[in-house]
Amino acid sequence: MILSGWESVFFWVFSIAAIFAGLLTVMARNAVHSALFLISSLVSVAALFILLGAEFIAGVQILVYVGGVMVLFLFVIMLVNVGAEETGKAAIFNRPTQVGAALVFSLLLVLGLLFAINRGYEGLKKRDADKLLVATRGREAQQQDLSAGATGVSRLTRDTERVGTSLYTYAALPFEIASVLLLVAIIGSVMLARTLKQEVSTDDVDPEVLNAIKSSEPEPTS
Amino acid sequence: MVASSAIALLLLQEASGSRAAAALEGIKHPDLSKFLVIGAILFIIGIAGVLTRRNIIVIFMSIELILNAANLNFIAFSRYLQDTGGGNALAGQVFTVFIIVVAAAEAAIGLGIVIALYRNRETIWVDEIDLMKW
Repeated sequence: MILSGWESVFFWVFSIAAIFAGLLTVMARNAVHSALFLISSLVSVAALFILLGAEFIAGVQILVYVGGVMVLFLFVIMLVNVGAEETGKAAIFNRPTQVGAALVFSLLLVLGLLFAINRGYEGLKKRDADKLLVATRGREAQQQDLSAGATGVSRLTRDTERVGTSLYTYAALPFEIASVLLLVAIIGSVMLARTLKQEVSTDDVDPEVLNAIKSSEPEPTS
Repeated sequence: MVASSAIALLLLQEASGSRAAAALEGIKHPDLSKFLVIGAILFIIGIAGVLTRRNIIVIFMSIELILNAANLNFIAFSRYLQDTGGGNALAGQVFTVFIIVVAAAEAAIGLGIVIALYRNRETIWVDEIDLMKW
């Protein structure tokens, strides 16, 4: 799956954007800035998905992550209004020893992963050398009849159809389990975020607990 | 600055179409290993964020970054299998859909816990949440 021409330019632009936005997500002082940098990182990774021919996943990434999850994050940052504490000179990281240990650990992980990818990919390339050559030649032949500056990515593939088919055949049972998981998540988050007043108003509290609260403070306000 | 000048250099190189530098050949033709390296770097940025930040919401965001790096690896291998014709090539994309579902559920539950925690303890700094520590 060797990319060529303008595809590689897009690859480098979006991968560098994803890494920089990821770094700024971790390093930003304000949580809102972190959320916005994470959105740009996710959008850059979605662009890489399109480059890899997975248009459906890229669309799901934008719709679900950026449109759903990140809006949820921003709402919670708004509700839990403590962002101002981190401005100025307040420490955003934990104690220096913890930061040092974490950085050393990350560095070791970087070296190990790069080593593993290099070693493993060499073997993979050796095993699939002839197949990769055939695939590259096929792509080059396919791109012969495109106009100059166009790449094969500009064509819409039947990716969505194929992903849908394998989602309902190859992964039908996990698909159903995922729907149950989402139901549990909805009910759980509603239960967790309720206040005591809301629980009392729907008569959903144990009478003993209610009496204990009433005896400790006359009016439950929270 | 360095990154933008490097991108400008790459753009010039691609636009002129000169194949002068053989050493740049690997930069010009990214393959599977490049995507894996990008995924690994994003994963490690996420790990560092989880281990070092104090703000529990930013820790959640770092977890999203980790899951996204895993998604990138899945999609890259899916494309590799499509090109070489081995195994079920679309399994990677199906797995990615499930990872996105689990990430959404995890974010909903986790942020519900954060709201309940803030209501009871008035803090979201993880070094102040030490009720069960001894």
